Amino acid sequence: MLSRVADAVFWMARYMERTNGLLRVIRTNYIASQDEVKDFSWQTILEVYGNLKPEAVAEMAHQSARALECLVIDKENPSSVIHNIRFARENARAVQDHITKEVWQCLNDFYHLVRDEHLQELLRFGDPVSAMDLLNKQGMTYYGVVDTTMSRSEDFCFLNIGKYLERAILTADILQIKLRELQGEEANTESPGWRYLLYSLAGYEWYLKNNRGNIQTPLVLRQVLYDMHFPHAIAYCLGQVNRYAERLRPFALPETFRQTEFIIGKVMSDIKYSTTDLSDLAALDQLFQDIKNNCYHIGNSFNQLYFGNS
Amino acid sequence: MDNSFLSGYDTSPGVWDEMFAAAGIRGHYRNFVSAIENLSAAEMSHKDELAKKLFMSQGITFTVYSSGEGVEKIFPFDIIPRIIQAAEWSTIEAGIKQRLKALNIFLRDVYHEQFIIKDGIIPAKLIYSCPNFLREMMHVDIPHDIYTHISGIDLIRDSDGTYYVLEDNLRTPSGVSYMLENRSITYRIFPSLLPRNKVRSVKHYPDLLLRNLLALANRSTSNPNVVLLTPGIYNSAYFEHTTLARLMGIELVEGRDLVVDNHFVYMKTTRGLQKVDVIYRRVDDDFIDPLVFRPDSMLGVPGIYWAYRKGNVAIINAMGNGVADDKAVYAYVPDMIKYYLNEEPILKNVPTYRLEIPGNQQLVFDKMDQMVIKKTNESGGYGMLIGSAATEKEMDDFKTAIRNDPRSFIAQPIISLSAAPCYINGRLQPRRVDLRPYALYGPDGIDIVPGGLTRVALKEGSLVVNSSQGGGSKDTWVVDE
Repeated sequence: MLSRVADAVFWMARYMERTNGLLRVIRTNYIASQDEVKDFSWQTILEVYGNLKPEAVAEMAHQSARALECLVIDKENPSSVIHNIRFARENARAVQDHITKEVWQCLNDFYHLVRDEHLQELLRFGDPVSAMDLLNKQGMTYYGVVDTTMSRSEDFCFLNIGKYLERAILTADILQIKLRELQGEEANTESPGWRYLLYSLAGYEWYLKNNRGNIQTPLVLRQVLYDMHFPHAIAYCLGQVNRYAERLRPFALPETFRQTEFIIGKVMSDIKYSTTDLSDLAALDQLFQDIKNNCYHIGNSFNQLYFGNS
Repeated sequence: MDNSFLSGYDTSPGVWDEMFAAAGIRGHYRNFVSAIENLSAAEMSHKDELAKKLFMSQGITFTVYSSGEGVEKIFPFDIIPRIIQAAEWSTIEAGIKQRLKALNIFLRDVYHEQFIIKDGIIPAKLIYSCPNFLREMMHVDIPHDIYTHISGIDLIRDSDGTYYVLEDNLRTPSGVSYMLENRSITYRIFPSLLPRNKVRSVKHYPDLLLRNLLALANRSTSNPNVVLLTPGIYNSAYFEHTTLARLMGIELVEGRDLVVDNHFVYMKTTRGLQKVDVIYRRVDDDFIDPLVFRPDSMLGVPGIYWAYRKGNVAIINAMGNGVADDKAVYAYVPDMIKYYLNEEPILKNVPTYRLEIPGNQQLVFDKMDQMVIKKTNESGGYGMLIGSAATEKEMDDFKTAIRNDPRSFIAQPIISLSAAPCYINGRLQPRRVDLRPYALYGPDGIDIVPGGLTRVALKEGSLVVNSSQGGGSKDTWVVDE
């Protein structure tokens, strides 16, 4: 297939994964902002996804409505949901003949939905949870449509590599945010913060099933980093990246395949043999940063070897 | 005829109406009218809404990039189909085939021996002064001597119902995807009307096109690689490019996906370079090769011209076709038909005054209010003056421009264009239409899918149907009746 097409499919999947992940994070945080006793702050999230100056972050940190507007529908913010959807769609537009008509229409609907006036009003003045549920549902439809209509050929591999790579990055991102939020508090005690983290990764129920209702930081970290049954765990995501990269073998030049195989394998064992020591938060933060850097490294190798960009 | 949206339909005098004759509804429309005349106004509005929604959700839009982020617009679609009788259609079909045969021989001739100039049928000056005549195409042999693989011939009807050819579009005619989409929308909004009216199908267009494209590859290639070259997502016809590529199952490429090495064209893939044999290009001549034509072009492929010249890649349509659809050369098409084919033209030309002929200028200036003035190398409804609707100032501006550069202008009497009923603001109203059938010229002959694209001037009284000037389109039916 064309390098440009592989590139666009890869990025379409990344933008969509980011959209869906971000929506879940924002939704969880909004709910937290409503039921928490002490003063809830959007500060860390805005710092990472708001693309704002420190003064603006400070101003918005305690105003949920404005934070939502900035994170979901602000076109000027390059990390916002609307921006991600727009770019997913622009990439899809350039490869309309490679994705199925259904996938294209689904993305197109998503784009029109997030721009819809009623939805934006609902988010601003009505019930933001309903607005985000509508968006979430469209995101779920996207996964379903991709799964049921796309043929299992080369494009599907690139699509999934993009998707799981982005998911791993997002999980590492969220872990990092959480760790910074808990800075100063005792990160290793039971804290509602970790419960919200599990919510935003859709992993709370799975945690309860395995751990009988006790939220304990080491157990949360084990699930989010290493649990091969948890679809947002970093080890699981990289396993999927590896699986789809493996499937490219018959389509790829031998040298290209060998190089990416090596890089992915190395990153996977880095995760596997990492340790999480809660007494050293700086080291933990560094671990999450390393995971992200490793993911970027995988992305760059695809960019050079398969997509022909330098 | 007591229905609210059918009543009050005014046909204007001196305009041919596609649906109404003096004696009432024309025969070939009767079936359709009987199916919709009992629908309530609410139902009709609902269908109109549905059509708009379908276009939007399928992304059948063109994007206007004005303020950073593009604004999505749908190409306005009118739900009432335009219906053509089979007998009439067979005349149109024969006329277009005849015309294309002559135009194709003309292109082969003008880029080789130039008999038509030597025999004094067309003045040499006219050909060499045409900006779209490409010296680079002289003595280039192309597969099967076919230049006009895909063409869209614009037809209009005068007040007595006679068809005239208004323009031959032989370069990269667009709109065929709207023909296909309009049909697929019609069967959603008028269930079972299409089979009941025995409307001839158009959906085999991509199959015919692909068959022709494959046939043009070098015969030593067993499994030719056919691609569609698009200028990219910012092109207003991008939707059409993706639709056609998808329907034919061929790769949609941009200039940056192709490279030329040793006079062969390759595309960049995830496993290295892959040879390309046939290119259906939607990039204009000027932009296709920056080494030969415009050096600032980012859309083309450096070196592709020489690969083409060597016969290593087939390019569709051929380069240099613009000399045959130049509006001043147009005036000579009937002569070409007589000269090359020894036949009388089946379809008429609109009488055309070339303004570089001194006598013609005064003639046209004297009755400018009854004339249309057009620039010879422009399309899309630009560079045009309709005398009946122009101000004194506009006329004077055109006169000055004509005196400065008479070769670039022609004048034609205003043809009043036939009207067809459209569903606008809850009632049927007449609006002016033209017709663009699409013809495919392959090694096995010419195929024309029945119908084509009917374009509508949606503004009341307007004669300009171009989409860039507020025009829309209709589904077009050819029915056996």
